[in-house]
Amino acid sequence: MKTNLRIYLAGVKTALASRMAYRGDFLMSMLIMLLVEMAAPLITFLIYENGATFPGWNMYEALLIQGVFLLGKGIAYPFFFGIVWNTIERVREGTFDLLLIKPKSVLFMAIVTAFDSEDLGKLIGGVTLFTLSLKRLPAPGWGEWLQFFLLFAVTLMVLFGYGLIMAGLGIVWIGNFRVYDIFSSITNFGLYPTAIFSKPLQTIITLIIPIAILGSVPATVLLGRPSAGTLGAVGVGLLFLLFSLVFWQWMLKKYTSVGG
Amino acid sequence: MLITVENLAKEYKSYQRGNSFGEAVKSLFVRKPLYIQALKGISFKIAEGELVGFLGPNGAGKSTTLKILTGILYPSSGKVDIMGYTPWRDRKSYVAKIGAVFGQKSQLLWDIPPIDAFYLNKAIYAIPEREFKRTMDQMVELLGLGDLIRKPTRQLSLGERMKCEFIMAMLHKPEIVFLDEPTIGLDVIAKDRIREFILEMNKTGVTFILTTHDLSDIEHLAQRVIVVNHGEIVFDNSITTLRRHLGEKKIIAVSTVHPLPDLALPGINITNRISPFQAELELDLTVFELNKFIALVNKTSTIRDLSVREPQIEDVIKVLYQLR
Repeated sequence: MKTNLRIYLAGVKTALASRMAYRGDFLMSMLIMLLVEMAAPLITFLIYENGATFPGWNMYEALLIQGVFLLGKGIAYPFFFGIVWNTIERVREGTFDLLLIKPKSVLFMAIVTAFDSEDLGKLIGGVTLFTLSLKRLPAPGWGEWLQFFLLFAVTLMVLFGYGLIMAGLGIVWIGNFRVYDIFSSITNFGLYPTAIFSKPLQTIITLIIPIAILGSVPATVLLGRPSAGTLGAVGVGLLFLLFSLVFWQWMLKKYTSVGG
Repeated sequence: MLITVENLAKEYKSYQRGNSFGEAVKSLFVRKPLYIQALKGISFKIAEGELVGFLGPNGAGKSTTLKILTGILYPSSGKVDIMGYTPWRDRKSYVAKIGAVFGQKSQLLWDIPPIDAFYLNKAIYAIPEREFKRTMDQMVELLGLGDLIRKPTRQLSLGERMKCEFIMAMLHKPEIVFLDEPTIGLDVIAKDRIREFILEMNKTGVTFILTTHDLSDIEHLAQRVIVVNHGEIVFDNSITTLRRHLGEKKIIAVSTVHPLPDLALPGINITNRISPFQAELELDLTVFELNKFIALVNKTSTIRDLSVREPQIEDVIKVLYQLR
């Protein structure tokens, strides 16, 4: 564990050093990331400013859900979600082989070599939005914080699962960066309170495709009004992670390298 | 034996795609599978400390062999035992004991100095600080790199980068090093330095297995050559035997005072008749002895100049590549 942490930190260090070689571009990219991710909260703010609402949710409650969603992405994207572009790019170029000649699991090496510093902009945005909206809401109790952290851990696991599935697809579906767009479109439902959707859609995004767990489910426990099917969402999230690990291994076995 | 390979076979599934727009659209819906037999059951053994060269035309199966031996690919069938490991099954513990340099795939990081990438490998292989520094300094000196390892990789020449790739692959002191076209695109001086380095490391007991298209790599380095073609081994022996593969032949260039006689005799193959007084030919010594040939030409035409050389290894290889 200690060795793996040392390897991961060495990976982060080299990734940062690589990115810092072009400081201007690095700072600009981080800023752009931050602005892009703030678009949804900004729209929410404008909706409420103009008198419209998500029925049953005040503006800060809605922004907290989006803050949790952004916080999840803000941790996932720089620290482990890079496996997606790293795998797709390496498989296309043939450098995925280089991960296989290291004495560590391929998945771990794909994470180590994929730290994405410019996505730290998402993390800054997530922390800011989460803190600002929480300040305007009644302070949660210890029990609510505990539940939130447990559910947020599942959020990160589910995001890791999405990463694994997309990266696994990148092994057989060579060079297809469109998976990011598909992922964004599907998970955007997680930006809003689950309760505003129709019952069938609520069931789909809570108990079939784990989307509600990315924002609404952990945020609502912090608000003291847990979403319907929270336990089910946790179960589905854990099953999803298990499935994604199996899927990754299956795809890895299909890896055929490139001609040499 | 350090490496034992038995009946190694690999079949790839690929899809046929047409080149016209219509065929490209059709391939979105229906694709015709194409099965390619990259390796057709090859077997060989390699002893500790050997320096073996794999030769073969493009698509012959040499890179596939190397990828299976390094644990990158699973074979379709066959057995591989390297230091007691099966590469694809015991990958993690096995690759800790091997190194690999891929001439066309860099392990360095483009925007930062090679030394930073070396430190990443130090962490991955858990190399103690003192040992890491000692090995790195030793290799930097052997390869004549000096302070270049502290310059961003993108500012280094191809030769300098390739030398750094070798350090990257050997910092953890592997017992076997696999080299896939390590001198590709390099100038003569860089090639020489790298070859010297390989030979120096080989003297310390490191086993090297290299694939190359560059026959001079094989001539300078390999004690043994394995020629692969169409997924099969068509030759496995020493360079000297490889030269003899076509029989005991010599390439002769002769110029004479008087016109040359008619040399259409068994064992003589005129490859270039430059003028009535000058020709290049191939002499099969098992059919026509060299001294008898010289005596014949001198008697009829009086030799002005004559040179005898070994056949070019390229000629031998070309014949081997044509074998099925």
